[in-house]
Amino acid sequence: MRTQHFRHITSKWPAMDWFEIVSENFIDTGGRPMHFLDQVAERYPIVMHGVSLSVGSTDPIDFAFLDKLKALAKRVKARWLGDHVCWTGVAGLNGHDLYPVPYTEEGLRHMVSRVRTIQDYLGQPLVLENPSTYLTFAASSMPEEEFIARLAEDADCALLLDVNNVYVTCRNHDLDPLAYLDAIPLDRVVQIHLAGHTDNGTHCIDTHDGRVVDAVWDLYARVMARAGGRATLLEWDAGIPKFSVLQQEVRKAARFRNGVREAAA
Amino acid sequence: MKAMAAPSLATLERWMQAVVMHPEGAETGLRAPKARRLLAAAARDPSAVVLPSKQLSSVERLEIYAHMYYARLVEVMETEYPTVRQLLGPHAFAAACRSYVAKHPSRARLLNGLSAGFPDFLAKSLPRSHRHGLAVDIARIERAMEDVFDAPASTPMTAAEFAAVNGRTRLAVNPALVLLELRYPANACMNAMRRGEQPRIPRPRVTRVIVFRRGFQVMRREQEQVQFRLLQALVAGKPLAAAVRASLVHGAGNADRVAGRLRSWFEEWAGAQLFIKKIK
Repeated sequence: MRTQHFRHITSKWPAMDWFEIVSENFIDTGGRPMHFLDQVAERYPIVMHGVSLSVGSTDPIDFAFLDKLKALAKRVKARWLGDHVCWTGVAGLNGHDLYPVPYTEEGLRHMVSRVRTIQDYLGQPLVLENPSTYLTFAASSMPEEEFIARLAEDADCALLLDVNNVYVTCRNHDLDPLAYLDAIPLDRVVQIHLAGHTDNGTHCIDTHDGRVVDAVWDLYARVMARAGGRATLLEWDAGIPKFSVLQQEVRKAARFRNGVREAAA
Repeated sequence: MKAMAAPSLATLERWMQAVVMHPEGAETGLRAPKARRLLAAAARDPSAVVLPSKQLSSVERLEIYAHMYYARLVEVMETEYPTVRQLLGPHAFAAACRSYVAKHPSRARLLNGLSAGFPDFLAKSLPRSHRHGLAVDIARIERAMEDVFDAPASTPMTAAEFAAVNGRTRLAVNPALVLLELRYPANACMNAMRRGEQPRIPRPRVTRVIVFRRGFQVMRREQEQVQFRLLQALVAGKPLAAAVRASLVHGAGNADRVAGRLRSWFEEWAGAQLFIKKIK
């Protein structure tokens, strides 16, 4: 849910199943955003998706921030609360970006421990998303998809499978997206993300600024065929179009979920 | 060459952060002392830490993150300071933002406070000229607009509550209110620029502006000197009578004139919802 659509949503009350919010956009703000969110939360289920939990960071866990997340989750009766398999800063700094972790045994143990601590504190499982990544650490000893699958299992957390991120990451690392998807434990996936990206030729950037490309729709169809349907969210964070354009993409996703590949195309 | 021992997770994270947050980009960041202290071998051979892809070298892959770090934060500041950007020009504004971010990297989970120190940074770093002085003042206004936008919600005082006010009353002030004393007529210039005009850069003239939120709308208004002093005293928590006295001591107005204006000022402030119900 983006600010540009607040008025449309709260005046038209469009037929949507639920909305996702970026958690940080509604923390430490007491004016217009919360006013609209409160109204929306009364009518639609809300899912919280954050960008600064930094579960992979080696800095201490920020419990004051967790308190704020918890309070927001309670206020909007969030169905679930999540973030990314990444870190956003160390040494007290925040890069406000989703940095990749090295996929090592040490990295896995560290993240499992932190996710468990955070989940215990929040009193609910986290829903963690595979990030778009642009580099590979030489120290990595396992593929990203294996790291994520083991993280979900060992930390007993849920997953948000971002199909566009799978495409972007695989393009950037010369990997097979189908093999990536096959390694993800879909029984742990509670939500799917779809989005547009920017293809720079030498690499793709996860810009969320356009329509979902056909290759990503194809991957989504494959996931749906295996998973049998999951709550799916369309992300569009830059060059945000009219709400009706988002609805077209959302309806297209629904047709894929219903297995009508040809009609969706 | 001797193979590099696998760095710890903490070292890798600190190293990557040092490289991608370097103001001159990843290539320079790799060789900078901060990164070298963490992973000296990476300065000689970046591929020992970050693998190249078929299309991009190790450094190019790091540059993606380095570019995004500054681009993202400059973009945030562009939305917060549109009039300052207009006044300085997009390139000078972006350069100022990059310098600011390099010197004051974000330490918060949220972006709301990222640019809190930007007006003071501009005041110290911009050349001395009326254009730049005006830019500093406009930056103070645009920063205040951000703070006011995010301030906690409150309930305005009712007419009945105003009727019960006397000289001993300490009024509760809306947390979504910022008072600014400026060197230039920045609010008027800002209004003109936001209308698409290109006003002449004014000579210095002290102006006083309040930035406040009425309902969910962020508003700005110039105040007379005595009016501003009175509001300052009320914000400081003085009882009404003491606040009026304090404003006369510091202000240019005389008591009779102020007494004659009090009603209209309070009507204006009540309409602006500057006073709120006390939290019990």
